Amino acid sequence: MRHRVAVLAVIALLLATGASMANPGGEGDADRDFTCGGSCHGDPALSSPSDGTVSISVDPLSFSGTATAVHITASGMSLSGNRLLGVFLLGSANGNDDHPEDYGWGILQDPNGGTRNYVEVTVPPSGSVTLTWVMLAPEQLGIQTLLAEIHHGSTPNSNNWAYSSLTRGYVVDVQPVPENLPGFAFDWSPETRVTGDDSPTEIRTRNTTSVSIQWMLEGEWVPHDAEVTGEGDHWHALLPATIGETRIQYQVTTSNGDFSIVQPWLTVATEPAAFDGEIWGARIQSLAFGLLVMAFLLSLQARLSPWEGRPELDHTEEVESAEAPPEPPGLEPDQGYWSRLIPSDENPGWLWDPVEEEWVADPDNPPEGGE
Amino acid sequence: MFGPATFHAAMAEVVVGTMVLASLCAIGCATATFLPGIAGGRLSSERVMVTMDKASIAGALLGLAFMPIAALSGSFAADNVVNSALLYNKFVYTGLAFGFWASFVVGRVRLGPGIWQHKSLSALQGATAAMAMLMTTMASSIGGKLVRGESLFDIMPVWLPSDSATVLSPIVSAALLIVGIAALVVVIRLGPKAERISSD
Repeated sequence: MRHRVAVLAVIALLLATGASMANPGGEGDADRDFTCGGSCHGDPALSSPSDGTVSISVDPLSFSGTATAVHITASGMSLSGNRLLGVFLLGSANGNDDHPEDYGWGILQDPNGGTRNYVEVTVPPSGSVTLTWVMLAPEQLGIQTLLAEIHHGSTPNSNNWAYSSLTRGYVVDVQPVPENLPGFAFDWSPETRVTGDDSPTEIRTRNTTSVSIQWMLEGEWVPHDAEVTGEGDHWHALLPATIGETRIQYQVTTSNGDFSIVQPWLTVATEPAAFDGEIWGARIQSLAFGLLVMAFLLSLQARLSPWEGRPELDHTEEVESAEAPPEPPGLEPDQGYWSRLIPSDENPGWLWDPVEEEWVADPDNPPEGGE
Repeated sequence: MFGPATFHAAMAEVVVGTMVLASLCAIGCATATFLPGIAGGRLSSERVMVTMDKASIAGALLGLAFMPIAALSGSFAADNVVNSALLYNKFVYTGLAFGFWASFVVGRVRLGPGIWQHKSLSALQGATAAMAMLMTTMASSIGGKLVRGESLFDIMPVWLPSDSATVLSPIVSAALLIVGIAALVVVIRLGPKAERISSD
Protein backbone atom coordinates (compact mmCIF):
# COMPACT_ATOMS: atom_id res chain seq x y z
CA MET A 1 0.00 0.00 0.00
CA ARG A 2 2.80 2.40 0.95
CA HIS A 3 4.61 1.65 -2.30
CA ARG A 4 1.48 2.50 -4.29
CA VAL A 5 1.13 5.79 -2.44
CA ALA A 6 4.78 6.60 -3.12
CA VAL A 7 4.44 5.77 -6.83
CA LEU A 8 1.26 7.87 -7.10
CA ALA A 9 2.98 10.78 -5.35
CA VAL A 10 5.90 10.63 -7.78
CA ILE A 11 3.53 10.50 -10.77
CA ALA A 12 1.57 13.47 -9.39
CA LEU A 13 4.77 15.47 -9.02
CA LEU A 14 5.85 14.64 -12.56
CA LEU A 15 2.45 15.62 -13.95
CA ALA A 16 2.50 18.84 -11.94
CA THR A 17 5.48 20.08 -13.96
CA GLY A 18 3.30 20.09 -17.07
CA ALA A 19 0.81 22.36 -15.37
CA SER A 20 3.13 25.31 -15.58
CA MET A 21 2.69 27.66 -18.51
CA ALA A 22 5.29 29.04 -20.86
CA ASN A 23 5.77 32.54 -19.51
CA PRO A 24 3.00 33.31 -17.04
CA GLY A 25 5.13 36.11 -15.60
CA GLY A 26 5.14 37.86 -18.96
CA GLU A 27 7.91 38.64 -21.39
CA GLY A 28 8.15 42.36 -20.77
CA ASP A 29 7.60 45.27 -23.11
CA ALA A 30 9.14 44.73 -26.54
CA ASP A 31 8.93 45.39 -30.27
CA ARG A 32 6.92 42.46 -31.63
CA ASP A 33 5.13 41.32 -34.75
CA PHE A 34 1.62 39.84 -34.80
CA THR A 35 1.43 36.94 -32.26
CA CYS A 36 5.10 37.42 -31.50
CA GLY A 37 6.09 36.68 -35.09
CA GLY A 38 4.38 33.30 -35.37
CA SER A 39 5.82 31.86 -32.16
CA CYS A 40 3.97 29.30 -30.05
CA HIS A 41 1.09 31.69 -29.37
CA GLY A 42 0.29 31.63 -33.09
CA ASP A 43 -0.17 27.86 -33.08
CA PRO A 44 -3.92 27.14 -33.13
CA ALA A 45 -3.28 24.11 -30.92
CA LEU A 46 -1.79 26.34 -28.25
CA SER A 47 -4.10 29.32 -28.42
CA SER A 48 -7.77 30.13 -28.28
CA PRO A 49 -9.94 33.19 -28.99
CA SER A 50 -10.24 35.57 -26.06
CA ASP A 51 -13.64 36.22 -24.51
CA GLY A 52 -12.75 39.90 -24.15
CA THR A 53 -13.40 42.79 -26.47
CA VAL A 54 -10.75 45.13 -27.79
CA SER A 55 -11.15 48.33 -29.75
CA ILE A 56 -9.12 51.27 -31.03
CA SER A 57 -9.98 54.91 -30.76
CA VAL A 58 -7.96 57.18 -33.05
CA ASP A 59 -8.57 60.39 -34.93
CA PRO A 60 -9.37 59.28 -38.50
CA LEU A 61 -7.54 62.31 -39.88
CA SER A 62 -3.95 63.07 -39.11
CA PHE A 63 -1.28 65.34 -40.50
CA SER A 64 2.01 63.89 -41.61
CA GLY A 65 4.71 64.10 -38.92
CA THR A 66 2.39 65.37 -36.20
CA ALA A 67 1.59 63.69 -32.90
CA THR A 68 -1.61 61.75 -32.59
CA ALA A 69 -2.98 59.59 -29.79
CA VAL A 70 -4.09 55.99 -30.33
CA HIS A 71 -6.27 54.63 -27.52
CA ILE A 72 -6.74 50.86 -27.17
CA THR A 73 -9.45 49.64 -24.81
CA ALA A 74 -9.66 46.01 -23.71
CA SER A 75 -12.37 44.69 -21.40
CA GLY A 76 -14.24 41.59 -20.33
CA MET A 77 -11.30 39.16 -20.45
CA SER A 78 -11.16 36.10 -18.20
CA LEU A 79 -7.66 36.60 -16.86
CA SER A 80 -5.11 34.50 -15.01
CA GLY A 81 -4.33 35.05 -11.35
CA ASN A 82 -1.76 37.79 -11.96
CA ARG A 83 -4.23 39.66 -14.25
CA LEU A 84 -1.45 40.25 -16.78
CA LEU A 85 -2.45 41.46 -20.25
CA GLY A 86 -0.19 41.86 -23.27
CA VAL A 87 -1.30 44.47 -25.83
CA PHE A 88 0.07 44.86 -29.37
CA LEU A 89 -0.25 47.92 -31.59
CA LEU A 90 0.31 46.71 -35.16
CA GLY A 91 0.45 48.00 -38.72
CA SER A 92 -0.60 44.63 -40.17
CA ALA A 93 -1.25 41.02 -39.12
CA ASN A 94 1.08 39.17 -41.47
CA GLY A 95 3.35 37.64 -38.81
CA ASN A 96 6.35 39.63 -39.97
CA ASP A 97 7.08 43.36 -40.45
CA ASP A 98 3.93 44.19 -38.50
CA HIS A 99 5.47 46.93 -36.36
CA PRO A 100 3.83 50.34 -37.00
CA GLU A 101 7.31 51.71 -37.71
CA ASP A 102 7.41 49.35 -40.71
CA TYR A 103 4.60 51.52 -42.12
CA GLY A 104 6.21 54.85 -41.35
CA TRP A 105 4.67 55.52 -37.94
CA GLY A 106 6.88 56.69 -35.09
CA ILE A 107 6.14 55.78 -31.48
CA LEU A 108 6.64 58.89 -29.39
CA GLN A 109 5.56 57.16 -26.21
CA ASP A 110 3.93 53.85 -25.30
CA PRO A 111 1.54 53.48 -22.34
CA ASN A 112 4.37 52.43 -20.04
CA GLY A 113 6.53 55.43 -20.92
CA GLY A 114 8.75 53.61 -23.42
CA THR A 115 8.70 53.40 -27.20
CA ARG A 116 7.54 49.78 -27.75
CA ASN A 117 4.61 48.44 -29.75
CA TYR A 118 3.99 45.59 -27.27
CA VAL A 119 3.39 46.37 -23.60
CA GLU A 120 2.23 44.38 -20.61
CA VAL A 121 -0.12 45.79 -18.03
CA THR A 122 -1.94 44.53 -14.97
CA VAL A 123 -5.66 44.86 -15.51
CA PRO A 124 -7.48 46.54 -12.59
CA PRO A 125 -10.35 44.73 -10.83
CA SER A 126 -12.83 46.62 -13.02
CA GLY A 127 -11.73 44.31 -15.85
CA SER A 128 -11.28 47.15 -18.31
CA VAL A 129 -8.13 48.98 -19.30
CA THR A 130 -7.39 51.75 -21.81
CA LEU A 131 -3.85 52.21 -23.08
CA THR A 132 -2.64 55.17 -25.07
CA TRP A 133 0.17 55.28 -27.60
CA VAL A 134 1.32 58.69 -28.76
CA MET A 135 2.38 58.29 -32.39
CA LEU A 136 3.97 60.47 -35.01
CA ALA A 137 2.01 60.12 -38.25
CA PRO A 138 3.95 58.73 -41.21
CA GLU A 139 5.56 60.88 -43.85
CA GLN A 140 3.81 58.85 -46.53
CA LEU A 141 0.43 60.34 -47.28
CA GLY A 142 -2.78 58.39 -47.78
CA ILE A 143 -4.71 55.68 -45.99
CA GLN A 144 -2.90 53.92 -43.16
CA THR A 145 -4.18 51.02 -41.07
CA LEU A 146 -3.67 50.28 -37.37
CA LEU A 147 -4.66 47.09 -35.54
CA ALA A 148 -4.55 45.99 -31.92
CA GLU A 149 -4.18 42.54 -30.45
CA ILE A 150 -4.32 41.27 -26.88
CA HIS A 151 -2.79 38.17 -25.26
CA HIS A 152 -3.62 36.84 -21.84
CA GLY A 153 -3.93 33.70 -19.75
CA SER A 154 -6.91 32.40 -17.85
CA THR A 155 -7.76 30.64 -14.61
CA PRO A 156 -8.44 27.73 -14.84
CA ASN A 157 -6.46 26.97 -17.98
CA SER A 158 -6.12 23.21 -18.14
CA ASN A 159 -5.02 23.30 -21.81
CA ASN A 160 -2.33 25.94 -21.18
CA TRP A 161 -3.80 28.03 -23.98
CA ALA A 162 -2.87 31.60 -24.75
CA TYR A 163 -6.02 33.62 -25.32
CA SER A 164 -5.84 36.28 -28.00
CA SER A 165 -8.06 38.73 -29.80
CA LEU A 166 -7.38 40.91 -32.85
CA THR A 167 -9.29 44.01 -33.87
CA ARG A 168 -10.27 44.94 -37.38
CA GLY A 169 -8.07 47.47 -39.13
CA TYR A 170 -8.74 51.08 -38.12
CA VAL A 171 -8.10 53.52 -40.94
CA VAL A 172 -6.25 56.80 -40.56
CA ASP A 173 -6.11 59.24 -43.44
CA VAL A 174 -2.72 60.93 -43.38
CA GLN A 175 -2.83 64.38 -44.96
CA PRO A 176 0.03 66.73 -45.79
CA VAL A 177 0.97 68.91 -42.87
CA PRO A 178 -0.13 72.57 -43.27
CA GLU A 179 2.74 74.96 -43.71
CA ASN A 180 4.10 76.47 -40.50
CA LEU A 181 2.12 74.03 -38.27
CA PRO A 182 3.77 74.00 -34.83
CA GLY A 183 4.55 70.60 -33.28
CA PHE A 184 7.20 68.40 -31.74
CA ALA A 185 10.58 68.12 -33.43
CA PHE A 186 10.77 64.94 -35.52
CA ASP A 187 13.75 63.60 -33.56
CA TRP A 188 12.39 64.46 -30.11
CA SER A 189 10.99 61.88 -27.71
CA PRO A 190 10.06 62.29 -24.05
CA GLU A 191 12.99 61.66 -21.74
CA THR A 192 12.97 59.13 -18.94
CA ARG A 193 13.61 60.46 -15.45
CA VAL A 194 14.87 58.70 -12.36
CA THR A 195 12.52 58.47 -9.38
CA GLY A 196 12.77 61.62 -7.30
CA ASP A 197 14.41 63.65 -10.07
CA ASP A 198 12.78 67.07 -10.50
CA SER A 199 15.22 68.53 -13.00
CA PRO A 200 13.60 70.43 -15.91
CA THR A 201 12.09 68.34 -18.68
CA GLU A 202 13.48 69.18 -22.12
CA ILE A 203 11.04 69.62 -25.03
CA ARG A 204 12.08 70.35 -28.58
CA THR A 205 9.63 71.67 -31.16
CA ARG A 206 9.41 73.04 -34.69
CA ASN A 207 7.66 76.10 -36.06
CA THR A 208 6.89 77.11 -32.46
CA THR A 209 7.25 80.51 -30.86
CA SER A 210 5.63 79.73 -27.51
CA VAL A 211 4.85 76.67 -25.43
CA SER A 212 2.49 76.15 -22.53
CA ILE A 213 2.31 72.97 -20.48
CA GLN A 214 -0.29 71.56 -18.13
CA TRP A 215 0.31 68.58 -15.88
CA MET A 216 -1.71 66.41 -13.52
CA LEU A 217 -1.36 63.24 -11.57
CA GLU A 218 -2.90 60.19 -13.20
CA GLY A 219 -6.52 60.04 -12.13
CA GLU A 220 -6.78 63.76 -11.42
CA TRP A 221 -9.31 65.86 -13.31
CA VAL A 222 -7.97 69.37 -12.88
CA PRO A 223 -4.60 70.09 -14.54
CA HIS A 224 -1.97 72.49 -13.20
CA ASP A 225 0.12 74.94 -15.22
CA ALA A 226 3.83 74.24 -15.41
CA GLU A 227 6.52 76.88 -15.60
CA VAL A 228 8.17 76.85 -19.02
CA THR A 229 11.37 78.61 -20.07
CA GLY A 230 13.26 78.65 -23.34
CA GLU A 231 13.07 79.90 -26.89
CA GLY A 232 13.98 78.91 -30.43
CA ASP A 233 12.17 75.54 -30.36
CA HIS A 234 14.10 74.46 -27.27
CA TRP A 235 12.10 74.51 -24.03
CA HIS A 236 12.41 73.45 -20.41
CA ALA A 237 9.39 72.63 -18.26
CA LEU A 238 9.41 72.37 -14.48
CA LEU A 239 7.42 69.26 -13.58
CA PRO A 240 7.27 67.75 -10.09
CA ALA A 241 9.41 64.72 -9.28
CA THR A 242 7.80 61.32 -9.63
CA ILE A 243 7.86 59.28 -6.46
CA GLY A 244 6.75 55.69 -5.96
CA GLU A 245 3.93 54.43 -8.15
CA THR A 246 2.65 57.92 -8.94
CA ARG A 247 2.48 58.80 -12.63
CA ILE A 248 2.49 62.35 -13.91
CA GLN A 249 0.91 63.25 -17.21
CA TYR A 250 1.53 66.44 -19.12
CA GLN A 251 0.10 68.10 -22.20
CA VAL A 252 2.05 70.48 -24.40
CA THR A 253 0.41 73.22 -26.43
CA THR A 254 2.62 74.45 -29.26
CA SER A 255 1.77 77.84 -30.73
CA ASN A 256 2.93 80.41 -33.20
CA GLY A 257 1.17 83.40 -34.56
CA ASP A 258 -0.95 81.32 -36.97
CA PHE A 259 -1.77 78.07 -35.13
CA SER A 260 -2.11 76.74 -31.61
CA ILE A 261 -1.95 72.92 -31.44
CA VAL A 262 -2.87 70.99 -28.31
CA GLN A 263 -0.70 67.87 -28.35
CA PRO A 264 -1.76 64.51 -26.86
CA TRP A 265 -1.20 63.82 -23.17
CA LEU A 266 2.23 62.34 -22.43
CA THR A 267 3.45 60.51 -19.36
CA VAL A 268 6.59 61.34 -17.43
CA ALA A 269 8.46 58.11 -17.94
CA THR A 270 10.10 57.16 -14.65
CA GLU A 271 12.58 54.45 -13.93
CA PRO A 272 14.03 53.40 -10.57
CA ALA A 273 17.34 54.89 -9.57
CA ALA A 274 20.29 52.85 -10.77
CA PHE A 275 21.27 50.16 -8.29
CA ASP A 276 24.40 51.25 -6.48
CA GLY A 277 25.76 47.81 -5.55
CA GLU A 278 28.77 46.35 -7.28
CA ILE A 279 30.03 42.83 -7.79
CA TRP A 280 32.98 42.79 -5.40
CA GLY A 281 30.94 44.45 -2.68
CA ALA A 282 28.34 41.70 -3.05
CA ARG A 283 30.98 38.98 -2.98
CA ILE A 284 32.74 40.34 0.13
CA GLN A 285 29.47 40.99 1.97
CA SER A 286 28.25 37.51 1.09
CA LEU A 287 31.45 35.87 2.32
CA ALA A 288 31.48 37.99 5.48
CA PHE A 289 27.91 36.99 6.37
CA GLY A 290 28.73 33.34 5.69
CA LEU A 291 31.80 33.39 7.95
CA LEU A 292 29.93 35.19 10.74
CA VAL A 293 27.14 32.63 10.63
CA MET A 294 29.73 29.86 10.64
CA ALA A 295 31.58 31.31 13.64
CA PHE A 296 28.34 31.67 15.58
CA LEU A 297 27.17 28.13 14.85
CA LEU A 298 30.54 26.53 15.56
CA SER A 299 30.71 28.31 18.91
CA LEU A 300 27.20 27.03 19.67
CA GLN A 301 28.27 23.51 18.76
CA ALA A 302 31.30 23.77 21.05
CA ARG A 303 29.15 25.16 23.84
CA LEU A 304 26.60 22.35 23.59
CA SER A 305 29.04 19.50 23.02
CA PRO A 306 30.64 17.53 25.89
CA TRP A 307 34.19 18.87 26.09
CA GLU A 308 36.89 18.11 28.60
CA GLY A 309 36.70 20.38 31.63
CA ARG A 310 33.12 21.44 31.01
CA PRO A 311 31.91 22.36 34.53
CA GLU A 312 28.48 20.83 34.28
CA LEU A 313 29.91 17.43 33.38
CA ASP A 314 32.11 17.13 36.49
CA HIS A 315 29.81 16.38 39.42
CA THR A 316 32.52 15.09 41.79
CA GLU A 317 32.10 17.88 44.30
CA GLU A 318 28.35 17.45 44.45
CA VAL A 319 28.66 13.70 44.94
CA GLU A 320 31.33 14.03 47.61
CA SER A 321 29.49 16.70 49.52
CA ALA A 322 26.23 14.84 49.48
CA GLU A 323 25.51 12.81 52.57
CA ALA A 324 24.45 9.25 52.06
CA PRO A 325 20.69 9.09 52.57
CA PRO A 326 19.42 6.79 55.32
CA GLU A 327 18.08 3.50 54.21
CA PRO A 328 14.30 3.51 53.89
CA PRO A 329 12.47 1.97 56.87
CA GLY A 330 12.15 -1.74 56.52
CA LEU A 331 15.03 -2.04 54.13
CA GLU A 332 17.90 -1.92 56.69
CA PRO A 333 19.82 -5.20 56.61
CA ASP A 334 19.17 -7.17 59.81
CA GLN A 335 21.80 -8.52 62.16
CA GLY A 336 21.54 -12.02 60.61
CA TYR A 337 22.53 -10.62 57.24
CA TRP A 338 25.71 -9.01 58.55
CA SER A 339 26.63 -12.07 60.63
CA ARG A 340 26.70 -14.34 57.59
CA LEU A 341 29.18 -12.16 55.70
CA ILE A 342 32.76 -13.45 55.70
CA PRO A 343 35.72 -11.01 55.77
CA SER A 344 38.49 -11.62 53.26
CA ASP A 345 42.19 -10.96 53.76
CA GLU A 346 42.78 -10.99 50.01
CA ASN A 347 40.16 -8.30 49.44
CA PRO A 348 40.37 -5.86 52.31
CA GLY A 349 37.27 -3.75 52.72
CA TRP A 350 35.00 -6.36 51.13
CA LEU A 351 32.79 -9.08 52.70
CA TRP A 352 31.71 -12.31 50.96
CA ASP A 353 28.01 -13.17 51.02
CA PRO A 354 27.84 -17.00 50.62
CA VAL A 355 24.05 -16.95 50.19
CA GLU A 356 23.85 -14.39 47.41
CA GLU A 357 27.41 -15.27 46.28
CA GLU A 358 28.48 -11.66 45.91
CA TRP A 359 30.98 -9.25 47.41
CA VAL A 360 29.58 -6.53 49.66
CA ALA A 361 31.43 -3.39 50.78
CA ASP A 362 32.35 -3.53 54.48
CA PRO A 363 30.70 -0.47 56.10
CA ASP A 364 33.20 -0.51 58.98
CA ASN A 365 36.22 -0.76 56.70
CA PRO A 366 35.31 0.87 53.34
CA PRO A 367 37.35 -0.40 50.39
CA GLU A 368 39.96 1.93 48.96
CA GLY A 369 40.11 2.83 45.29
CA GLY A 370 36.44 3.23 44.82
CA GLU A 371 35.90 -0.09 42.96
CA MET B 1 29.37 24.83 -26.66
CA PHE B 2 27.06 26.37 -24.10
CA GLY B 3 26.90 29.66 -22.27
CA PRO B 4 27.59 30.36 -18.59
CA ALA B 5 23.85 30.68 -17.89
CA THR B 6 23.23 27.08 -18.99
CA PHE B 7 26.22 25.84 -17.04
CA HIS B 8 25.05 27.79 -14.00
CA ALA B 9 21.56 26.26 -14.23
CA ALA B 10 23.08 22.76 -14.30
CA MET B 11 25.37 23.46 -11.33
CA ALA B 12 22.54 25.07 -9.36
CA GLU B 13 20.40 21.98 -9.93
CA VAL B 14 23.17 19.77 -8.56
CA VAL B 15 23.54 22.00 -5.50
CA VAL B 16 19.82 22.23 -4.79
CA GLY B 17 19.24 18.52 -5.38
CA THR B 18 22.00 17.36 -3.07
CA MET B 19 21.08 19.94 -0.46
CA VAL B 20 17.44 18.81 -0.46
CA LEU B 21 18.62 15.26 0.22
CA ALA B 22 20.96 16.47 2.96
CA SER B 23 18.40 18.65 4.69
CA LEU B 24 15.62 16.04 4.57
CA CYS B 25 17.90 13.41 6.09
CA ALA B 26 19.25 15.80 8.72
CA ILE B 27 15.76 16.85 9.76
CA GLY B 28 14.82 13.15 9.82
CA CYS B 29 17.71 12.40 12.18
CA ALA B 30 16.79 15.30 14.46
CA THR B 31 13.13 14.24 14.48
CA ALA B 32 14.07 10.67 15.36
CA THR B 33 16.17 11.95 18.26
CA PHE B 34 13.26 13.79 19.81
CA LEU B 35 10.47 11.44 18.76
CA PRO B 36 12.00 7.96 18.81
CA GLY B 37 8.58 6.35 18.56
CA ILE B 38 7.60 8.10 15.35
CA ALA B 39 6.68 5.87 12.39
CA GLY B 40 6.60 2.89 14.71
CA GLY B 41 10.20 3.45 15.74
CA ARG B 42 11.46 2.70 12.24
CA LEU B 43 12.84 6.21 11.78
CA SER B 44 14.97 5.93 14.90
CA SER B 45 16.21 2.41 14.15
CA GLU B 46 19.96 2.15 13.91
CA ARG B 47 19.92 1.16 10.25
CA VAL B 48 17.77 4.12 9.17
CA MET B 49 19.65 6.58 11.39
CA VAL B 50 23.02 5.49 9.97
CA THR B 51 21.65 5.74 6.43
CA MET B 52 20.15 9.20 6.97
CA ASP B 53 23.28 10.43 8.73
CA LYS B 54 25.54 9.29 5.91
CA ALA B 55 23.17 10.62 3.24
CA SER B 56 23.00 14.02 4.92
CA ILE B 57 26.75 14.43 5.24
CA ALA B 58 27.35 13.12 1.70
CA GLY B 59 24.70 15.43 0.24
CA ALA B 60 25.99 18.43 2.14
CA LEU B 61 29.59 17.74 1.12
CA LEU B 62 28.65 17.35 -2.55
CA GLY B 63 26.53 20.51 -2.45
CA LEU B 64 29.31 22.44 -0.74
CA ALA B 65 31.79 21.29 -3.38
CA PHE B 66 29.53 22.46 -6.22
CA MET B 67 28.35 25.68 -4.55
CA PRO B 68 31.43 27.77 -5.47
CA ILE B 69 31.19 26.51 -9.07
CA ALA B 70 27.50 27.47 -9.19
CA ALA B 71 28.22 30.88 -7.66
CA LEU B 72 31.07 31.65 -10.06
CA SER B 73 29.19 30.48 -13.14
CA GLY B 74 26.18 32.56 -12.02
CA SER B 75 28.44 35.54 -11.66
CA PHE B 76 29.72 35.06 -15.21
CA ALA B 77 26.16 34.54 -16.46
CA ALA B 78 25.34 37.99 -15.06
CA ASP B 79 28.41 39.42 -16.84
CA ASN B 80 29.92 40.14 -13.42
CA VAL B 81 27.54 43.07 -13.01
CA VAL B 82 25.14 43.49 -10.10
CA ASN B 83 22.44 45.76 -11.46
CA SER B 84 19.50 44.97 -9.21
CA ALA B 85 18.63 44.31 -5.60
CA LEU B 86 17.44 40.81 -6.56
CA LEU B 87 20.85 39.89 -7.94
CA TYR B 88 22.62 41.42 -4.95
CA ASN B 89 20.44 39.41 -2.58
CA LYS B 90 21.22 36.27 -4.56
CA PHE B 91 24.87 36.76 -3.63
CA VAL B 92 24.03 37.43 0.02
CA TYR B 93 21.75 34.40 0.36
CA THR B 94 24.38 32.24 -1.34
CA GLY B 95 26.93 33.35 1.24
CA LEU B 96 24.52 32.64 4.08
CA ALA B 97 23.72 29.22 2.62
CA PHE B 98 27.43 28.48 2.40
CA GLY B 99 27.89 29.48 6.06
CA PHE B 100 25.04 27.29 7.28
CA TRP B 101 26.06 24.26 5.20
CA ALA B 102 29.72 24.58 6.15
CA SER B 103 28.72 24.73 9.83
CA PHE B 104 26.57 21.64 9.36
CA VAL B 105 29.45 19.70 7.79
CA VAL B 106 32.08 20.90 10.27
CA GLY B 107 29.83 20.05 13.21
CA ARG B 108 29.10 16.58 11.91
CA VAL B 109 32.77 15.86 11.10
CA ARG B 110 34.09 17.17 14.42
CA LEU B 111 31.48 15.60 16.66
CA GLY B 112 30.89 12.39 14.72
CA PRO B 113 27.69 10.45 14.15
CA GLY B 114 27.02 10.48 17.88
CA ILE B 115 25.88 14.08 17.44
CA TRP B 116 22.36 12.77 16.79
CA GLN B 117 22.23 11.08 20.20
CA HIS B 118 22.75 14.40 21.95
CA LYS B 119 19.41 16.20 22.02
CA SER B 120 20.57 19.81 22.02
CA LEU B 121 23.21 19.18 19.35
CA SER B 122 20.73 17.21 17.29
CA ALA B 123 18.29 20.11 17.44
CA LEU B 124 21.05 22.52 16.46
CA GLN B 125 22.08 20.38 13.49
CA GLY B 126 18.48 20.00 12.33
CA ALA B 127 17.85 23.73 12.62
CA THR B 128 21.12 24.48 10.83
CA ALA B 129 20.13 22.19 7.95
CA ALA B 130 16.67 23.77 7.76
CA MET B 131 18.09 27.30 7.69
CA ALA B 132 20.69 26.25 5.14
CA MET B 133 17.98 24.83 2.91
CA LEU B 134 15.91 28.00 3.28
CA MET B 135 18.87 30.14 2.22
CA THR B 136 19.63 27.79 -0.68
CA THR B 137 16.06 27.85 -1.95
CA MET B 138 15.93 31.63 -1.59
CA ALA B 139 19.06 32.01 -3.71
CA SER B 140 17.75 29.62 -6.36
CA SER B 141 14.25 31.14 -6.31
CA ILE B 142 15.74 34.56 -6.97
CA GLY B 143 17.32 32.98 -10.04
CA GLY B 144 13.84 31.95 -11.18
CA LYS B 145 12.58 35.48 -10.52
CA LEU B 146 15.37 36.97 -12.60
CA VAL B 147 14.99 34.61 -15.54
CA ARG B 148 11.26 33.79 -15.61
CA GLY B 149 9.77 36.54 -13.51
CA GLU B 150 8.26 34.05 -11.09
CA SER B 151 9.26 31.39 -8.59
CA LEU B 152 7.63 28.79 -6.39
CA PHE B 153 8.08 31.15 -3.45
CA ASP B 154 5.38 33.34 -4.99
CA ILE B 155 2.73 30.99 -3.63
CA MET B 156 4.29 30.79 -0.18
CA PRO B 157 2.77 32.93 2.57
CA VAL B 158 6.23 34.08 3.67
CA TRP B 159 8.83 35.50 1.32
CA LEU B 160 12.15 36.66 2.73
CA PRO B 161 13.21 40.16 1.67
CA SER B 162 14.63 40.15 -1.83
CA ASP B 163 13.23 43.15 -3.71
CA SER B 164 15.31 45.57 -1.70
CA ALA B 165 18.89 45.01 -0.64
CA THR B 166 20.98 46.23 2.25
CA VAL B 167 24.12 47.26 0.44
CA LEU B 168 27.06 47.70 2.78
CA SER B 169 30.01 49.71 1.60
CA PRO B 170 32.95 47.51 0.56
CA ILE B 171 34.95 48.86 3.52
CA VAL B 172 32.29 47.78 6.02
CA SER B 173 31.98 44.42 4.26
CA ALA B 174 35.75 43.96 4.41
CA ALA B 175 35.72 44.83 8.11
CA LEU B 176 32.94 42.28 8.67
CA LEU B 177 34.95 39.74 6.71
CA ILE B 178 37.95 40.27 8.99
CA VAL B 179 35.69 40.01 12.04
CA GLY B 180 34.27 36.77 10.66
CA ILE B 181 37.71 35.29 10.04
CA ALA B 182 38.87 36.37 13.50
CA ALA B 183 35.77 34.89 15.10
CA LEU B 184 36.36 31.60 13.31
CA VAL B 185 39.98 31.50 14.47
CA VAL B 186 38.93 32.22 18.04
CA VAL B 187 36.23 29.55 17.97
CA ILE B 188 38.40 26.87 16.37
CA ARG B 189 41.82 27.62 17.89
CA LEU B 190 41.16 29.29 21.20
CA GLY B 191 37.73 28.04 22.18
CA PRO B 192 36.93 24.79 23.96
CA LYS B 193 37.84 21.76 21.90
CA ALA B 194 34.70 19.98 20.76
CA GLU B 195 35.31 16.26 21.18
CA ARG B 196 33.96 13.49 19.03
CA ILE B 197 30.89 12.01 20.67
CA SER B 198 31.11 8.24 20.92
CA SER B 199 28.12 6.32 19.62
CA ASP B 200 26.40 3.93 22.02
